[in-house]
Amino acid sequence: MQFDIAFALSTVPSILSAIGMTLLVAAVSCVGASAVGFGLELIRRSGGPGGLFVRFLIDFIRATPVLVWLYCLYFILPFYGIRLGALATGMIGLSLYYSGYLAEVFKAGIDAIPKGQAEAARALGLGRMDMTVFVIAPQMLRNIAAPMGNYFVSILKATPYLAVLAVPEMLGRAFDIASDTYRYAEPLTVAGLIFLGLALLISLAIKRLEIRLLGPTAR
Amino acid sequence: MIRTDSTLAVQITSLNKWYGAFHVLKEVNLTIPSGSRVVICGPSGSGKSTLIRCLNGLEAYQQGTVTLGTVRLGDNARETALARRQTGMVFQNFNLFPHLTVLSNCTLALRRVLGMPRAEAESLARHFLEKVRIPEQADKYPAQLSGGQQQRVAIARALCMNPRLMLFDEPTSALDPEMVKEVLDVMTGLAQEGMTMICVTHEMGFAREVADQIVFMDQGSIVEQASPMTFFSTPTHPRAQSFLHTLLH
Repeated sequence: MQFDIAFALSTVPSILSAIGMTLLVAAVSCVGASAVGFGLELIRRSGGPGGLFVRFLIDFIRATPVLVWLYCLYFILPFYGIRLGALATGMIGLSLYYSGYLAEVFKAGIDAIPKGQAEAARALGLGRMDMTVFVIAPQMLRNIAAPMGNYFVSILKATPYLAVLAVPEMLGRAFDIASDTYRYAEPLTVAGLIFLGLALLISLAIKRLEIRLLGPTAR
Repeated sequence: MIRTDSTLAVQITSLNKWYGAFHVLKEVNLTIPSGSRVVICGPSGSGKSTLIRCLNGLEAYQQGTVTLGTVRLGDNARETALARRQTGMVFQNFNLFPHLTVLSNCTLALRRVLGMPRAEAESLARHFLEKVRIPEQADKYPAQLSGGQQQRVAIARALCMNPRLMLFDEPTSALDPEMVKEVLDVMTGLAQEGMTMICVTHEMGFAREVADQIVFMDQGSIVEQASPMTFFSTPTHPRAQSFLHTLLH
């Protein structure tokens, strides 16, 4: 059986029709993972018993496969009366899973900020919240634009895991076509190429963001 | 409580601080009347920076009291925060916020801490940038300025908060020699306006000209405290004598 380009092209519209779902899952998970990860890192830095727990939690998250998280959220939570839809479960699962990795990235980004920055903020009377939002976070973002972008690409590439929960995203659609037609090479290649294109777009956007952040303000 | 006098007296009593087993500040007692200008000097590691960092809460201490005006630091969280807010600090490495323009560096605390509207904060900031003779740099970023200019911005940023006490932690030590003067000139101007100032510095010319009290520290203790005239002409402590000797020769 040879690769049939005409057939491959014929699968494009159907696979592309699921791109919205893939992008939705990826976008929500990127935002969710960043928010949760930043929160985890702030708690970890604050020390105390909460910090110790979060330190353990971050290591725990990073040491477990993402599929385990998805299965647990989807099949085990209902036993405790918590019923989330497949889509919500998937996005929460990816957010939690990647929050552990992003927390590590944020940690590196904050550690790289000179101590004098927080001291100057405190000497000016800024509260902890204002200091975090206006002094620490912007400088952290400058330090971590590139590694954060890498994780955003990883999150995009992790969206097909949601197939196990029957969320209709792109790779799932490609598999549907494959099992209907018994031709695997074409739809999977098409899905792969679309993922490649999206990943390149994210990288490009991050590059531009990095240039903008560093612009005239570089130390 | 609203006070009408514009400067703040400082009282340090039996201050002791340890870093682990290392005794950094030993029984420090110091009274700084409102409106006076104190220069703290001494060899590296003598505890002078640590001492002024205790005055605005950047360092914790284990024993003793620090009183700013009528407020004893640590007694009451709200009053302590308020007293600290009336204290401006200038650092050796400027510590300007690199991601913000000069103007935004000056307005951030005005807007977030005092809740001042943007227009008012900006005009106040421009007033102080003018005062440190750098108004034309308002829209640049710190990295685009020279060290001396950055330090003057840092002074303007502190002045924006209307402090009644200014702390300077080796403000010229990170500067190229030709930029030291522009910063010292600004500080001299402040002193002439009657600001209470505590400066940790090795600039003995500045100390002689501006200070009304010189405090010499060694190994965590104040070993000599005198007027500039007495200190420079007839230092009594052998450590101060040798310090001055190496500085002047």
